[in-house]
Amino acid sequence: MEHVWIITTAWIGLALLASLISIRIGISVALVEIFLGFVAGNLGAHFGTAIFQPNAWVNFLAGFGSVVLTFLAGAEIDPESFRRQLKPSLAIGIISFLLPFLGAMAYTYYISGWNLQAAQIAGIALSTTSMAVVYAVMVETGLNETELGKLILTACFITDLGTVLALGLIFAHYDYWLVIFVVVTAAALWRLPSICRWVFAQWGGRVSEPEIKFIFLVLSVLGALAVTARSEAVLPAYLFGMVIAGLFVHDKVVIHRMRAIVFAMLTPFFFLKAGTLVSLPALIAGFGLLVILFFVKMVAKIVGVWPMCRIFRMPRRESHYTTLMMATGLTFGSIASLFGFNYGYIDQAQYSILVTVVIASAVIPTIIAQVFFQPREVGLGKRVAIEYFGTAEHFLHSEE
Amino acid sequence: MFKRILLAYDGSQGADRALAAGLDLAKMHGAELWALGVQERLPRFSGTIDEVQEEKQYSNQRYGKLLNAARAKAQEAGLELKTILRPGHPAQTIVEVAREGKFDLVLVGHSGLSGVWAAFLGTTAEKVSRHAPCSVLIVR
Repeated sequence: MEHVWIITTAWIGLALLASLISIRIGISVALVEIFLGFVAGNLGAHFGTAIFQPNAWVNFLAGFGSVVLTFLAGAEIDPESFRRQLKPSLAIGIISFLLPFLGAMAYTYYISGWNLQAAQIAGIALSTTSMAVVYAVMVETGLNETELGKLILTACFITDLGTVLALGLIFAHYDYWLVIFVVVTAAALWRLPSICRWVFAQWGGRVSEPEIKFIFLVLSVLGALAVTARSEAVLPAYLFGMVIAGLFVHDKVVIHRMRAIVFAMLTPFFFLKAGTLVSLPALIAGFGLLVILFFVKMVAKIVGVWPMCRIFRMPRRESHYTTLMMATGLTFGSIASLFGFNYGYIDQAQYSILVTVVIASAVIPTIIAQVFFQPREVGLGKRVAIEYFGTAEHFLHSEE
Repeated sequence: MFKRILLAYDGSQGADRALAAGLDLAKMHGAELWALGVQERLPRFSGTIDEVQEEKQYSNQRYGKLLNAARAKAQEAGLELKTILRPGHPAQTIVEVAREGKFDLVLVGHSGLSGVWAAFLGTTAEKVSRHAPCSVLIVR
């Protein structure tokens, strides 16, 4: 029992340290958690301590964290922008998933000699786009409020949908359990918006948080069905998030409460665990492959997304920017890699390389896009008469 | 001489001294005085949109209060202080806003960075003075 508390202290202490570092340096807490997990995991392995080796309860918290993260990501869709930009966002989003998926899978299978399942995991992990990384960049320039910004975010959403569909369907066992899973999920998704609306209205706002427990219950039931069908729990979680996204637009309180639970207790374990499993010796040994896979992802994104942007008459600079934004990745890439490792489709060396490539793709294209290809209509080159640039929230806190 | 003055304001002691100087200068020249709050350290390379939204909201509240307090001080001095709130890199954003708003003076407080850090990184005031399109007054 004492041992449990020592392990808990170590992991929660690391999560707290990650928060403090993140606040101090302005880098996302997820990235800091992965890095600290990496350092702690490798130091632990070096000194022969098992304290940072994921155990059953850490695995549970990390697994549930990944499901809730995916749910929250699904709930980020803006249905109105999606309807307005249906064609370009579908086209850019699908090609942004498909080419890197096929490219990374083909490279790792035919050239690196990975087995088919490992190559499929590589394809999925490197096909992802990070809507959150993109959003963070856009908030700085106000681009998230423009049509271009909304198009890129919606396209990211489609790419991530491709990722969770691939993760959920490629490794599924095609038997009667899959049929049951598909039928139950489809029926649940159809009825859940109205059920959730009723639950929120009936029981919302109480201290025992029945509405959040209800969401967790739905995620658990659908996750259990998915795993029984050898699919992945993130698939129904993402779809569930999508169908009740509209509800969260009106009920910000629920999402704030969920965030408090998720950021305090769930996501730290997911990202710390993702970091502890990255092996430094494997990275050193596979450095060449790491660099190549990074370029495979970048080239595949450029070959796929850039021409598509031009087809939809996007100006050249904005096309460069959109392409680089679609080449980012972080959370879904980590989820896919961890899924592959947990189920034994990839080994620790392959996992280490994939997660590192995913992290590199969160940082490098973002910096290049911001420094060289920031769209001119917002941000740096903007020439407008100064009016009031504050946000609505800022305005609300003003006395006038 | 100065018609539009931009004050970079972060609520620090240096910024408060710059505000006091700005109020004097605005009175003296009959100039418009604007205060700019730059929301730095919003999480980059974020894992979730929620993280960015929460941090942005926190920063909006913090800077909202700071700019409000600055506006109240200006009101006490019988001047109107207009406020701007923007996310981004402090020096870069101050220079951009100075350029976009055609300001003819930028006021920045001297930072509290230690000599070692300032030597390595440079201060915001130094960077603004190098790149601003107008005069810059670093208030000590």
